[in-house]
This record gives sequence, C-alpha cells and structure tokens, in this order.
Amino acid sequence: MLKQLIFIIALAITLAVFAYTVSRLIKLFSLTKPAFPLKDWGKRFCLLLKVAFGQTKIFRRPVVGLLHALVFWGFCIILFGSIEMVIDGVSGSEKSLSFLGPVHDVLMAAGDIFALLVGIPIIVFTIRRSLMNVKRFSGTEMKAKSHIDAIVSLSLILLLMVSLLLMNTGYLGFHRLSGTEIKGSYPVSSFIAGLLPGFSVSGFHTLYEINWWLHILTIFFFANYLPYSKHFHVFMSIPNVFLSRLDPPGKLDNMESISNEVRLMLNPETAFSQVPAGPAPERFGVKDVTDVTWKNYFDSLSCTECGRCTSVCPANLTGKMLSPRKVMMNLRARMKEIGPRLVKNGKLFSDNKSLLGDYVSEEEIWACTTCNACVQECPVNINQPSIIVDMRRYLVLEEGKAPGELKSVFSNIENNGAPWQYSSEDRLNWTKDLDFEIPVFAELPAGTKPEYLFWVGCAGAYDDRYKKVVRAFAAILNRLNVSYAVLGKEETCTGDPARRAGNEMLFQMQAMQVIETMKKYEVKKIITTCPHCFNTFRNEYPDLGGNYEVVSYLQFIESSISEGKLRLNSGKLKGLGITFHDPCYLGRANNIYSEPRKIIGAISAGTVEMKRNKSFALCCGAGGGQMFKEAEKGDKEIFIERTEEALETGAEIIATACPFCMTMITDGLKYKNREEDIRNLDIAELVMETMEI
Amino acid sequence: MKIVVCISNVPDTTTRIKFLEGNASIDTSGIQWVINPWDELSLTRALELRDDPASGVKTVTVAHAGPASSEPTIRKALAIGADDAIRVNCEPADAFFTASQLAAAISKEGFDIIICGIESSDFNGSAVGGMISEFLGIPSVSSVSGLSIENGAPVFTREIDGGRESLKVPVPCVAIVQKGIAKEPRIASMRGIMAARTKPVRVYETVDTDCLTEIAGFEKPAPGAACKYIDPDDPARLIELLQNEARVI
Repeated sequence: MLKQLIFIIALAITLAVFAYTVSRLIKLFSLTKPAFPLKDWGKRFCLLLKVAFGQTKIFRRPVVGLLHALVFWGFCIILFGSIEMVIDGVSGSEKSLSFLGPVHDVLMAAGDIFALLVGIPIIVFTIRRSLMNVKRFSGTEMKAKSHIDAIVSLSLILLLMVSLLLMNTGYLGFHRLSGTEIKGSYPVSSFIAGLLPGFSVSGFHTLYEINWWLHILTIFFFANYLPYSKHFHVFMSIPNVFLSRLDPPGKLDNMESISNEVRLMLNPETAFSQVPAGPAPERFGVKDVTDVTWKNYFDSLSCTECGRCTSVCPANLTGKMLSPRKVMMNLRARMKEIGPRLVKNGKLFSDNKSLLGDYVSEEEIWACTTCNACVQECPVNINQPSIIVDMRRYLVLEEGKAPGELKSVFSNIENNGAPWQYSSEDRLNWTKDLDFEIPVFAELPAGTKPEYLFWVGCAGAYDDRYKKVVRAFAAILNRLNVSYAVLGKEETCTGDPARRAGNEMLFQMQAMQVIETMKKYEVKKIITTCPHCFNTFRNEYPDLGGNYEVVSYLQFIESSISEGKLRLNSGKLKGLGITFHDPCYLGRANNIYSEPRKIIGAISAGTVEMKRNKSFALCCGAGGGQMFKEAEKGDKEIFIERTEEALETGAEIIATACPFCMTMITDGLKYKNREEDIRNLDIAELVMETMEI
Repeated sequence: MKIVVCISNVPDTTTRIKFLEGNASIDTSGIQWVINPWDELSLTRALELRDDPASGVKTVTVAHAGPASSEPTIRKALAIGADDAIRVNCEPADAFFTASQLAAAISKEGFDIIICGIESSDFNGSAVGGMISEFLGIPSVSSVSGLSIENGAPVFTREIDGGRESLKVPVPCVAIVQKGIAKEPRIASMRGIMAARTKPVRVYETVDTDCLTEIAGFEKPAPGAACKYIDPDDPARLIELLQNEARVI
C-alpha cells in the first residue's frame, strides 16, 4: 500500500512537471507563424513507417545506423514493459498485462533481449563520442554543454537498460527459487541469473525491488529531463517525421503576401495608386523567432545535434562558417532566450537581439548553395534551407541588403531579363550558323502549335561554352523530328536565381511575365536543359498558376533511347571512362538519377562513379545564387573539392548536365591544369557526338 | 539639410539603340528605361547621408525633367528610398533646356545640396550639372567622387592627378559626381516598393526657355572587328599583324 502511494505521488509529480513543460511549449509555439496545411495523411503515414520506424535515413550510414536503429527499436519494444510497470505501480499488481498471454511473453522476451541490444550500442556511442575524434561531433556550435548533455543522456539510457536487466534477473531468480509462476520469458536475464548462484530468495527480491524503482524513477526523470536537453528528439522526431514537409526539396515556398504586391504592380491601374491591399505582413522573411513557422521550431526541437547535415554541407566542408546544424541549434536557443519573455510581455517585446545577426550571421546564410544535401541526410526530415532562404528574404525584402554581385544580378534580371548584362536582342545568337532552322514561336505561321517549348535559358543564350550544349540538344531535337519552338527574344529569366538569393519580389515578377508569355502561345509542355529552370517550372510555377508538363532533356533523351528512336554508337568513345556529376536540382531536388546513368551507359561501358554520387553527390558550389557571387570565406572552393573527386575516378570525361555545374567543373579543371587531358562535356554533347544519323 | 538628386531616365545599357527614319530620332519602342547609373549612385550616397543622423540631412528629393512616361523610373528612385520627387512635365530636348527646367523647379522647392551625375549614359553631354549651378548662381564642384557632411557643411573629395583633393563648399551648392561616390547602387526593399506607390511626386509645368541645339542626325559606330587570337608560342605572327594589318608598329 505504501509502495503504491509513493508510486502514485512520483507519477503525479512526473505528469505535473511534464504538463507544465508541454504548456510552456505550446505557448512558445503560439509565437510562431503558420506553415503548410496538413493533408495527405496516407502519405504521412507511409513516411512515418519508412523514415521513423524503418529508420531508412539513419541507414544511409549503415554501421552506425544499425546501432541507432537497435536503440530505436529497443525503445519501442521496451516502452510496452514500462507501461506495464506504471499500471503495476498504480494498481499494486505484478505483470498486469500478462493476460495478453503469448503476446506478453514475446514482448517481455523481446524487451529483455533489446535491453542488451540497446545497452551495447549505447556503450559504443559513449566511447565513440568521448574517446574517438568523430569530426561531426565537433564544430563551433558544439560547446561543452552539448557534449555533457549527450553524455548525460547516454548514461541515463545505459542506466535504464542495466536496471531493466537486473530487475528482470531479480524477478526470475525470486520466482524460480520461491517456485511461483514466472510470467513471460527473459532469455538475457535468465543467463545473468545463472551467474548469481549464491543469491537467496530475498536477495533476488531485493535486487528486483531496487531495480524496479531505479528503472521507473529513471524513466520519470528522463521524461522530464529530455524536453530541456538535445535529446528531446526522443519525443519529437517521430511526430516531426509525420509532419514532414512533403513538397519536393527543390521547391521553395511561395510568399503569398508578395504575390499580392506583384499583381498590383503589374497592373497599370494599380501600379502607382493607393490600394486597399489588406494589412501588410508584419515582416517579410525571417529575422527572429516570431517570424519562423511552427514547423521550423518543431524542426529545431527535433534536432539532436547529430551533425549529419553539417558533415555533408558543401559550404561547411570547405571551411565556410555555415553549419546547418548550428542554424537549428541557434533557432532553439534563441527561442529559449526570448520566447518566455515574449509570452510574458507580448510579441512586441524586444531585447535588441535577433536570431539573424546575433545568432546566425549574414555570412553564414549567404554561404548556402541550397543543394539540399542537409535535407537529404537529416534522419528526422528537418528542412534547413527553407529557414536559410527565409533569412535571405528578410535581408533583401526588408533591408535591401545582399552581396554586391547579387544586387547586380537583380538589376540585370529586372532590366534585361538575365542574370548577366546582355541584351535580349542577342537571345538567339546561339542559333547562328546552325545547319538547320530553330523555330521561334513569334515567327510561326498562324495556327501552328508546336508540341514542346524548348526553354533555352539564360546560360544557353549567352554563355559561350553552354551555347554549344543547347546547340547539341537542338540538333538532337531536330534529328528526332520533334515538334518544338523556342521563345527567342521573348524568353526571359525564370526568376530562379533571384528567388534563391532572397528576392521573392523579382522572382514573382519574372514568373508572372513568363506565365503570360506561355499563355499567349498556349504552351503545355516545356523541355529544358537547365536543371534550375526545370525545377522552377516544375515545382514552383504551379503556385503562381503556371501548370505545365515539364520535361528534363535527360528524361527525354533517355526515353527516346529506350523507345528505340535514338541509337547511340558506343564505339565512338570506346575505352574512355566517363564519370557523371549529379546536379543538385536534378538529383536531390527532383530524383532524377537513373536517366543520366542509362544514357551514359548506352554511350560507354567505362562509366565510373565518384565517391559521393547520386543522393550523396557533392554540389558544384554554384547553386543558391553562388554562381553569381564570390564564395564566402573558407579554406577551399567547393568546385575544386568536387573536381578533385571527379579526377580521382580516373575518367577521361566528366559529364555534367547543368550550365552552372559545367562552369564550375571547367573552372576546376583549369585550376588543376587538367583541361588538356580531361574533357568536361554535357550529356547532350555526348549524345550528339555518338548518335547515329 | 535637404539634398536634391537630379535623375535622368536612360535606356538600359544592354539596349540595342535603333533610329527612326532619317536617323534624326531614337526608336523608343521596347526600350527598358532605368535611372542613369551616375544618378543612381548619387541617390545611394544621398540616402546613406540621410540615414546617418549625424549628417543632419533630413530629406532626399529626386528631381526629373521628363514626360509622364518616366514615372516608373521616378517611382524606382522613391522605392530605393528617396522621400519625395518633383517632375517637370516636358520632353527634354538638350542640356540647356533640361538644366533651365530643373533649376526653375528646384529653386521653387528649396534645397541645400543638388547632386547631378557627371553625365547621363544616353547622350553623355556632361553639361546639365554645371548649367544648373549657373542658372541658380551658386557654386558647383565637378568630378566629385566623395561627399560627406562635416559640422553641417559639405566636404567634396575629388580625384586629382596623383592624389585626392578635399573641398569645403558653402551651401547651397551643386555637386557633379563621378561613379566613386557610392560603392554600389542601393536596391529597393519590399517596404520601399510598397511605400513608393504613395510617396508624393509634385509635377511642375515648363518655364519658357530656348533649345540651343537641334539634333541633325545620329549614326552608329562601325561594328568592331572580330578579336584575333594568336598562339603565345608564335610572337612573329603578332609582330606581323601589328605591322601589316594594324599598322601600329
């Protein structure tokens, strides 16, 4: 009876403290902004099974992944026993769930085995963290507090597992010696009990009681310690996976408040007049915690500082200040600092500090290439780039601040419709001296409706090297008698570089203009060589009313090959090794991995993969607006890191499929003095070189 | 203190200029108009001073002589941060006409410093700034590449041969500025764009003045010859080309 009373008091305290923590959290969440609408429950459920319970993303690092998965699965199984202990404690019973019969037996046995299978990895983790120098456990954001926090959590888990085994051992020993019924089977504890021959009935009983209390009280303590530690992840990661952003990672969220403004500006009636546009948003973009969405904050609470994101971040790998993990940790820390005071004093309270500026520096956010390697890697589906871009949005839209080169890019896009300063009159220069005609929409006879719009893109129109690529692809289209046309002088930047550099206003102005042009020619299908244009059309234009069937030239070439329309002569490049560099905006952003490999496979038998390939591929360094600006301070250029990796393969040809990647890899080859013996070719050029006429 | 920045509305630098029949006027169809780059930098510097409380600059006004169709360019200047604008409703004909219209309108408004870009990227006449100061009978300094305010008085910096010159000039005065006046042009923030819609633009009608010049015709420069690449291992070929083709040595 006394035991019951003590237990109930302990449980009540635990629940009360936990309820206080939850209520505090709810108040902090109420400071945040809405995120995407929650729907697609079926999809979410599948994701939950796959990513959370299947631990698929953890397994991207198989060895350490298995250890983590054991801990995770172990927790799930052992949870059943813990529930039973709580019921036992309240009701004064023993093994109250044993009425479940064989199910109970299996779960008890599994729990007993998993106590060992969790305990061993925890010991490995502790040794790994404290004695081995694992790079991703260090970094500017990893202060002593983070390490202590980790060691405390690991120790508590180890204590839980040891006490569980000893509790089971005591239980077994007591019932064996007293000849009473044993409910459930406990293979590991049975072995341990066998090692304790000298124990008496009361000895086993004491062992049981001590460890029963130790185990349950540790659980109670742990449950209330977690929300204040990085290990809150134990509670948050499963819901975080369930609440994942389901959009393709390449898609940036549309800013509806900007759309309204742009519509007013593009309409001559309202461009220069006072219009009731509704209340302007408090702030464009993210400056502080009140500007983030609840999902951003949820992400930060789910982060357990594992550092997988940072360990694959191209900026971080090359010595730049950006660390995606730090951004998440900063958000959480800043909320911890200012959140309770905002709750108390109202949302307008200011301590003259902010997330952007005092926690995350501008240098950090301008280093991001939006390559989505961090998103791909995060085991709990945190989205780091979205908040990074939102901080850029704040700087550009609210403060008119951006690196100088990007400001020029903005003016160029605004004035001449391309990130570079070239006249739109020159957009068709790439077609000069071709031995076939390039059909242009504006010049087509009335009533002609080409099947495809071939979107050439600014690099295709103006970059001397990349012009050769669009010429090659046009030759392929011509060879296949595809019905297509280009926009020529009517083409303008899709707005992609502006959007990724935070200038949402300019992006939407461009997008709405492009959509108007598309309407004029009733464009339904777009084919393009540029992955950035491809991603923007496919994933971002629908938000602004531009719905098209968007095809990457790689998908198109691959299907032409597999349908037998296009035959490649693999003899022409015989014996030459080809390695393919995955562009982030085809690969991670849009899951196009197999098409380029099938095409290259049809060209040459000598394909070699780089160490980091497909979803693991390293960015060339040009995404997210980096193409147009100097890299932030670091100890290496990203393009050199990637070129070195490509050279390590020993391939004679580095195949690319993106104008920016091409610029970067070509520069890398020049830097390494390898431009003489190694060729950097686009897949379109390889196909043109080898196609049979 | 009040700064007036004169802005000219010019074709974007990537524009391919075409002439109308008789080559006496420019075909303005399809031209993307922008703020003259010198004026854009002047505006940037003026706004930097206004945003620094220590400078004592309270307002920045942009002044433009041109038709209603140049409104987007004026709004762009307002979006970048100018407080208000004046526009003389006219078709600017030559430097004398433009300067007299601007001088008349600005004198009605009141000012301390007038900043003009040293030239505009369309006609590159380099005359309006000096003429405004003459019309108003106030001092002007040309080729200014730095502007600061010390103890309520402007200090102009000029690049001179082998060094730099600082000048103190009493207000009111005209600064005719070079590109070094600001590092890079300021871009419009979203708030700026939203605010620009409702910032005041005061329109003045023209004052009587003469046009002193008349455009007789335009012509385009001959297209540049293609660049020739010479193998670095073949200096003889370079010498041969320089001697016989370019005839420079």
